[in-house]
Amino acid sequence: MIKAYILVKTRVGKLEKVLQKARELKNVESIAVVTGDCDLIVKVKVRDTEQLLQLTDELQTIDGIRQTTTHVIEKEITL
Amino acid sequence: MFLKIRKRYLFYALALASSAIASISAGVDVIAIRKYGEVYEEAPLLYGFSVFLVGFIITLLFCLILSIPYRGRSLGSLLDPAFKHLRFVRREEIAYHLLAGLGNAITTTGYFFVLTVMPDPSAVLPFYQTVILYLLLVEVIAEKNAPTLIEIQSSTIVTFGAILGSLSFKGEIDLSALAIVFLVVNPGWVLLSIYQRKLKLLKMKGEPNDSLNIRFWNILFSLAFMIIIMLILGQFLKKPLLAMGIESSMNFFWLVSIVATLAFFSYIFHIRALGIGKASVTQAVKATTIVFAIPVTFILSLFIPIPFPTTPTLWLTRSIGFILVILGIISFAITQVRAYIFIRAAPGVRVAKLIEEIWKIKGVDSVSAVSGTYDVIARVTTRTLLKGYERIVKRLESIPGIKEFRWNSILKEWENV
Repeated sequence: MIKAYILVKTRVGKLEKVLQKARELKNVESIAVVTGDCDLIVKVKVRDTEQLLQLTDELQTIDGIRQTTTHVIEKEITL
Repeated sequence: MFLKIRKRYLFYALALASSAIASISAGVDVIAIRKYGEVYEEAPLLYGFSVFLVGFIITLLFCLILSIPYRGRSLGSLLDPAFKHLRFVRREEIAYHLLAGLGNAITTTGYFFVLTVMPDPSAVLPFYQTVILYLLLVEVIAEKNAPTLIEIQSSTIVTFGAILGSLSFKGEIDLSALAIVFLVVNPGWVLLSIYQRKLKLLKMKGEPNDSLNIRFWNILFSLAFMIIIMLILGQFLKKPLLAMGIESSMNFFWLVSIVATLAFFSYIFHIRALGIGKASVTQAVKATTIVFAIPVTFILSLFIPIPFPTTPTLWLTRSIGFILVILGIISFAITQVRAYIFIRAAPGVRVAKLIEEIWKIKGVDSVSAVSGTYDVIARVTTRTLLKGYERIVKRLESIPGIKEFRWNSILKEWENV
């Protein structure tokens, strides 16, 4: 099981459309609209790197997404 | 707010079921205490003892059933994924269990005492909600941390709401019951909830602690404290209280086992809901217990005499009280600022150590070591941005291993539950 944060930058004016599409994706744990370096933080949980590639591919084909940066989680401490 | 709507319904169903069962169980408590009172003078104490003794037997039974393996896992893992099987208490848990057990013994006995004075669950239960006030006070004292306006506001609303809601049907407020709630029941409850949470956060050999074992051992430790209390009081009153407790538990075994079963399921549903939704929201939904208590009081009034309200004013006052309590809890639960913090570590710093250090900061919900542009991503929750600066940003700045960090406030969020 691999978890990752995907930081997404969108083109101005496309955020709402991107969100709608992103919410339909499978293996997505959470989506947050944030202020700062990026526009969206998508947390994903996939079976293996193959599935991660598939998911990032799907994300990148969404119209309005300018850039994605994937941060694979190596260790997580959580509530 | 959620991706999959059906699970959200499941969350509300579980949380509401938990509060409904809790108020039904309060109703059965009233009947049981009546029955005890007909036979024994020290009804609240003996009934408290019975609840823990019978509760221990019932919980043991359920936990054993839930330990049965099913498709490579245990039945209980369906309720709490961390549960494997009933196990012995571990050394690092004992201190927490002692305090949580003491808290449970105190709060339960005090609560039963209040029920003997005021046999109306819909008047007693709102008081439990004032516990927010205590949690806030503990925070202020322990962390030298000034409360925010919203915290003061909601806890004041809840407190006054609880006082209004607890007007008896005669329109009186019982001062001795009030004193017991504020001085005995609520402090005990705070002790229980703080250490139960600490137990839940404790890692067992790197794995999360499970709620079923916590529940089981909590009841056992509470029972131990009850035995000590009975022995000391028994010396004092020159009565064989412990023997009376065991005798009464045998006499009323079936009645008390109903209460114990209801309590167990209320707890299980609560835990299951916690696993889906956020703690604060779960607590807010749990506040609806006071609403469920109203029909319970009505049903109870068929069996035991509870004086009925004489004027519409009284009804209105009580309703306002209920509304205030729920409103206060909800506003407390949902006014929160959340953020992601991206962190770059200084060269030569071990990230595994760094995330443990960041994890110690209060308000950090999760912290992950990641590969990519940043080294660590932390998710934080705080009441206001100012508090976020005071509590989180200042602490982060004092950690030498951090080269730089960026705060990204969350504007909107979806969670797949």
